[in-house]
Amino acid sequence: MSSDNLNKVPEITLSFWVIKILTTTVGETGADYLAVNAGLGQAVTRTGMALFLAVALFLQIRARRYTPWLYWLSVVLVSVVGTQITDLLTDDMNISLYLSTLVFAVALGIIFIVWNRSEHTLSMQNIDTRNRELFYWAAILCTFALGTAAGDLATEALGLGFAWGSIVFGSLIAVIYLTWKFGVNTVLTFWIAYIFTRPLGASLGDMLTQSRNYGGLGMGAMWTSAIFLTVIILLVTQAQIKDGLLNVGRGGN
Amino acid sequence: MMKLKEKNRIAAVLMPLLIALVTNGWSAPMTEGSSASTPIASSQAKASCKLGDLSEFRTLANEVDALVEKGNLPEAKKRIKDLETSWDEAEAGLKPRDASSWHVLDKSIDRALAALRAKPPIQAECKSTIAALLKTFDSL
Repeated sequence: MSSDNLNKVPEITLSFWVIKILTTTVGETGADYLAVNAGLGQAVTRTGMALFLAVALFLQIRARRYTPWLYWLSVVLVSVVGTQITDLLTDDMNISLYLSTLVFAVALGIIFIVWNRSEHTLSMQNIDTRNRELFYWAAILCTFALGTAAGDLATEALGLGFAWGSIVFGSLIAVIYLTWKFGVNTVLTFWIAYIFTRPLGASLGDMLTQSRNYGGLGMGAMWTSAIFLTVIILLVTQAQIKDGLLNVGRGGN
Repeated sequence: MMKLKEKNRIAAVLMPLLIALVTNGWSAPMTEGSSASTPIASSQAKASCKLGDLSEFRTLANEVDALVEKGNLPEAKKRIKDLETSWDEAEAGLKPRDASSWHVLDKSIDRALAALRAKPPIQAECKSTIAALLKTFDSL
């Protein structure tokens, strides 16, 4: 039955997709900075980020209503941890990207099957119980790992650079949007598009940060992160304000 | 009808963006090509093969090598971190050009990094990993 609890995740608006794409890039840049520039190394960064994520998710799930800054902080941290899991498998354990892409795709499918069997709905407007939230975040984490693996695979197998990557992944999302407009299932189109925002965010970030020698805009990681972070904070603050002004009357349909 | 006007507006915004992206994508291979078109010796031409111009990284590796030669391992460790940082920063630009060569060079850099970061670092190990790294540069 639909509970009295409020939906714990944001509505799917253009703003949602923009913040999502930006948080992808910032999460990745942040993790790289800590591991390489700050010299913490991959292992320490991984553990630290995983702990940080656990705390954020604990707070997110415990909160009584959707809290934009907490939700998006969790997304950034999931982005970091999901990427690091894939990198660990690929770089340290030498697992082929074909295999990891396949495994994460299957894992995601299993999550949805179990979720659907348990809750009888995959609707994003009814993430209003703890179980549903756990399924939701498990799926989000899996989409980041899958998006990383698929994106890296496209780079390595097809030599897909960031310029073409931006066009290709952007176009794929646009196509998925059109199929949704023409009636294809909302849940299916949402999650597929969501997966593709990971390689799109990575390509866009690379396009801005990479040196002009490689066809990028040469802005560097620091400036790109600063700009992206500023835009994220502005959009999330806007969401936070909008949310604060609404009465407790939103929630399950 | 409003929907049609809206779509036209969206298209008008997206078209220049798409064009900008496409020209950016096409210009990238062109810059890569021009750097390889003026070889002085055959070995130098080889150094700028599919991955493009690696001279920036080669120079850093040479500096690390010189420091290791002198036995100054702490300085060499600092210098190779510069190599690591600039190499990692350029990953997204370099790897798509030739992923397998990129991995070969990346692993070679990792080995040299590990040798110099060992506690304590052993001169002979550092020397051999750096020599191997320079050889890897030459072989590409």
